[in-house]
Amino acid sequence: MSLKTLIEVYGTFFAGIVLFVFLLIFADNFASAANLLNVLKQVSFLAILATGFTFALITSELDLSFANVCSFCAVVIGSLISADVAWPLAVIAGILMGIAAGFLNGFLVTVLKVPSLISTLGTASIANGLAFMITGGVAFVGRWDPGFLYLGRGKIGPVPVIILFTLIIFAAAFILSTQTRTGVHMQATGENEEAARRAGISTRNCKILGLVLSGLAAGVTAVFLVANLSSAAPQMAGDFLLNGIAATLLGMTMFTPAKPNILGTFVGALIIVILSNGLVLLGAQYYIQDIMLGIIIIVSVAVSASVLKRAAFAL
Amino acid sequence: MKHFKTLLAAAGLAGAALSAGQASAFELGVVAFQMSAETQARCANTVGAEAEKLGWTTQVLNSNGALDTHASQLDNLIQKGVDGLILCMSKPVQFDAQFEAAKGANIPVITISSGASPHTLFDVTPNEYIMAAEAAIYLLGTINYEGNILAQRFESNTGARIRGSILDAVLVENPSVKIAGEHSMARTKSWQEDVRNGMSALILQNAGNFDAVWASFDGQALIIDDLLKENGLNKGDVSLVSIDGGQEVYRRIKDPDSMMTATVAIPFEDMAGKAVTMMNQIAVEGKAKEDLVPGPYLFIPATLVDATNVDQFLK
Repeated sequence: MSLKTLIEVYGTFFAGIVLFVFLLIFADNFASAANLLNVLKQVSFLAILATGFTFALITSELDLSFANVCSFCAVVIGSLISADVAWPLAVIAGILMGIAAGFLNGFLVTVLKVPSLISTLGTASIANGLAFMITGGVAFVGRWDPGFLYLGRGKIGPVPVIILFTLIIFAAAFILSTQTRTGVHMQATGENEEAARRAGISTRNCKILGLVLSGLAAGVTAVFLVANLSSAAPQMAGDFLLNGIAATLLGMTMFTPAKPNILGTFVGALIIVILSNGLVLLGAQYYIQDIMLGIIIIVSVAVSASVLKRAAFAL
Repeated sequence: MKHFKTLLAAAGLAGAALSAGQASAFELGVVAFQMSAETQARCANTVGAEAEKLGWTTQVLNSNGALDTHASQLDNLIQKGVDGLILCMSKPVQFDAQFEAAKGANIPVITISSGASPHTLFDVTPNEYIMAAEAAIYLLGTINYEGNILAQRFESNTGARIRGSILDAVLVENPSVKIAGEHSMARTKSWQEDVRNGMSALILQNAGNFDAVWASFDGQALIIDDLLKENGLNKGDVSLVSIDGGQEVYRRIKDPDSMMTATVAIPFEDMAGKAVTMMNQIAVEGKAKEDLVPGPYLFIPATLVDATNVDQFLK
């Protein structure tokens, strides 16, 4: 592998390592076990959500509704638990709502042929409206079952359980995307839909599946989010939209450059959260964080576009 | 990639230099829930400025109105090991776990206009119920306790919701005043647009059929004032009353072209200053919290400002 290829494939990953080492040296308390577990816990929410978005992107479709769908699922869970529904049922209902939103997106994109950029923006608005309709704008707080809260706050030894859940989800997503026929079909659909279709792949099903997985991830994230914050409110996952997209785009600059990939997304989420944590530990003021996130998005898109352009010329 | 690494390193170096230069001072973490709201920005900026007067290192963070971001920022500051935390418009119920962690790490937490928590020292706040009653009764007085009003609510914020509840309670005792139309602000990030759209529709629907407008906070009132002017109304045609205070509101109360009639001025700067003074007395001078503030609240009086006393508030 040439140095140029090495940089293209692993450059961002190495940059992440450089960032990590830099913070180990310069940021007090960064290396403490408590902080590293804190970082991993913060990564968990973003990584699960961004993994779903990555599946949609693998099939070449955008899902701009995932953050709002996540908030909607959260208020469904909150409202049911507040109405004394057993929490496992509320959790299942919340996840099913996420899957339903994914199906709706899939239907709009593949059957009605509405571009995903538009259809998922519409779904996002519907999810937002429904969340406000259910809550009246007031957050659900209190009356949470300890068993439910354990999902977001519980620990096994010193390790928050959500980290373990995330690792399981990530492993399943990684295997699905790289080691299964379905995953290969989804990637083929995203890379060249016409060729995939001619090869006998149901590109429609692949696209629906990608969007359903994105909705599923939104529902699962909602469960952990509500359990962690012991509340459910409309727009509670609002900030995840930009961060989720940034994590996925950052992930596209490594391992399989210019292609969305689950491993890259996980590392991308890790880099964003480490950066965010590190900036706080280094004493940076609030606006620096937004500026750095913006820079990451621009640089990662620029790198992906550059690699893609050169690949196209090579063909 | 070189550029990316350089940017990361430069930002990190700047942060490291910042933190290294002030390592010995009392380190105060300041987190505002949503700094795009003027009141929260005034609060957080004043806390920062007052703390710096004491020679403290301050780090101001903005949660952008996102619950998860707020939780992450609190977790990060706790991991950093700050000496104290002052939070502007936080939400104790949702961040119970973070406040408990801060208490466990012996980090004193003072909140401003947030609500009480068993894990924080106290909340510096005006009494929302008193302010809301003053504003509502004043508004009704301007129309001789009869006629129609328009109401602009905000249910997602506890303080604003209390103000709305008190308005309703006052109206129960004054049945000659009816709410002709009301709009509830749903969005927090693009709230200005939300208020403008909702209220412009209400003003058109009720043209000539309302005598006063009640807004749950002054930011809304400023937008409504502009709308009323755009609809050809003049000072004296309707009365516009709200709560919060601020130089722009005072200027409009004095402005002969504005409908702004009165506000209840919350002294955010005084509250922020008080929080810093108290933090100094408790965390630095070692005084007992109970000797300074017996209960969970440190109430700060707020003043109703109208044309008769606005000059005292205008700078």
